[in-house]
Amino acid sequence: MEHIEVAIVGAGPGGMSAALTLAEEGVEVAIIDNNPTPGGQYYRQTYINNTTKKLKPHQQEGVELRRKLHDSKIRYFSKTNVWGTFEQKILALDGPGAPPALEAEAIVLATGAFERTIAFPGWTLPGVITIGAAQILNENNVSPGKRVLISGTGPLLVVLASELIHAGIEVIGVLEGSNLLPRAIKHLGALFGQKERLKEGIGSWISLQKHRIPYRLGCSVCFARGEDHLKEVTFCHLDNDWKPIPGSEETVSCDTLCIGYGFIPFNALSVTLGVEQEWDPFNACYIPKRNMFMETNIKGVYSIGDGTSIGGARLALLEGQIAGVAAAQQLGKSKKHPEKYISGIATALSRERRFKKMYTDIFTPGFGIYELSEENTILCRCEGITTADIRRAIDLGADTSGEIKIITRAGMGDCQGRMCSHLIANIVARETNKSLLEVGQFQPRPPVFPVPIENLCLSVDKSAGKMG
Amino acid sequence: MENSNKENLPGNSQSIIINVNGIPTKAIAGESLSCVFYANGWKKWHRTPYGAEQGLFCGIGHCFGCLVTVDGVPNIRACQTLVSEGMDIVTDIILEGKS
Repeated sequence: MEHIEVAIVGAGPGGMSAALTLAEEGVEVAIIDNNPTPGGQYYRQTYINNTTKKLKPHQQEGVELRRKLHDSKIRYFSKTNVWGTFEQKILALDGPGAPPALEAEAIVLATGAFERTIAFPGWTLPGVITIGAAQILNENNVSPGKRVLISGTGPLLVVLASELIHAGIEVIGVLEGSNLLPRAIKHLGALFGQKERLKEGIGSWISLQKHRIPYRLGCSVCFARGEDHLKEVTFCHLDNDWKPIPGSEETVSCDTLCIGYGFIPFNALSVTLGVEQEWDPFNACYIPKRNMFMETNIKGVYSIGDGTSIGGARLALLEGQIAGVAAAQQLGKSKKHPEKYISGIATALSRERRFKKMYTDIFTPGFGIYELSEENTILCRCEGITTADIRRAIDLGADTSGEIKIITRAGMGDCQGRMCSHLIANIVARETNKSLLEVGQFQPRPPVFPVPIENLCLSVDKSAGKMG
Repeated sequence: MENSNKENLPGNSQSIIINVNGIPTKAIAGESLSCVFYANGWKKWHRTPYGAEQGLFCGIGHCFGCLVTVDGVPNIRACQTLVSEGMDIVTDIILEGKS
């Protein structure tokens, strides 16, 4: 089995930052990423094709980081899924040119997050896509649709609207689920020092105003219709718990609906490694526990960036440096003192943590939004499991996510519950009067990504029986 | 950097031809398959085991709604696959409209 000093999962801002920090200390590093190019979602490389457009400051930053990665001795495996993690720090890999199994002395998990989506009747229709998906299309000069409605929460809604307007696409409105203002006022201080973020936010806001795009607070899509493709969307007002207010519905015609209700950390690999998870009430999700050095309860396993707790790229960069310094010291490769390093970047750290707190406080959906799904609404997109199927399982006595999974197959499909775990947990909690903590999440198990059986066998073979 | 896929380093906007269900289709080197599909107005191409028709959804490789067969290999995510000259794509659903 191949061996490496530090294996980093994810080549986004956090992973690249950790890798470069470690490489500088002379540590042997491999970085494994399932995307075709490094950068993660924040430093997405698609815009490289758009030679006509001037790069934004953060895109320029991404170009710099990728150049450093390219010039380094870091081993980089792209298009490679880490489909399982096993004790003794073994990673099972599936990708072109990657070894089937890799043993590491330390692991840095920088797995990033995915968009939290909400189930409502019609959300599985072609034409309903996430905000991120729409941004990627648009960056490639491909239009997601002709008439676009945007619904969800967070600054990205406005950013996407502005990007689409610039591309000449008709945006018919932006629905922000949060009742922004009362919650935002107490956090104004968190904007201190966030010049770049403010500039982008204000710029996007101005283009919305200029084009008279309606921006509604406390509103969300509640119904999407169309035979084989999206044709119209009904939206409604939400109360303070984000519960739809009956009688407040309005219907508009559009061919594209972009949704995004914040982000959920991708924690499956830290779960399979045995890292202790805790419930994060601010972002309503499970997150790996860790200490100030980003190390989890398993010695030599670090967890950083949005894959741990949603804090954005700036925080991920800092956490990557901390984990890098700490891991290098642990391996005896560096005399840099992690504690001293942290105090050296304390100002930047607390600035980003203030922003993170503001972001999750204002832009985390209330539990009322999970009441949008109806009896025949599909919750598990992979297996076609509906709300009614979940109710039947509850009637049979299921009251945890694990039992629901066994009875219904929800969460057992290709995505391994990433799209539906939170949707189903919320319905079970509501129907059984239990807390989300009691209901739990779907327990991820290897393979957390689909893997061809021959590659699975190869991984097991190469690890010489050390898996599981 | 020791790269396992050197051909995927930053490219240029070169126009290429790929085969989609046997039909030659224009694409731009370096863009993803889901971009090619959307550029052609195709918004669904994958049929789930229970018969639902899906296409692009999450866009970042997590939802598996955009699966296609690439050069004979099934269950490949269109959103994570960058196109290259001559790539052979087969979809579960017949694609209609322009190409």
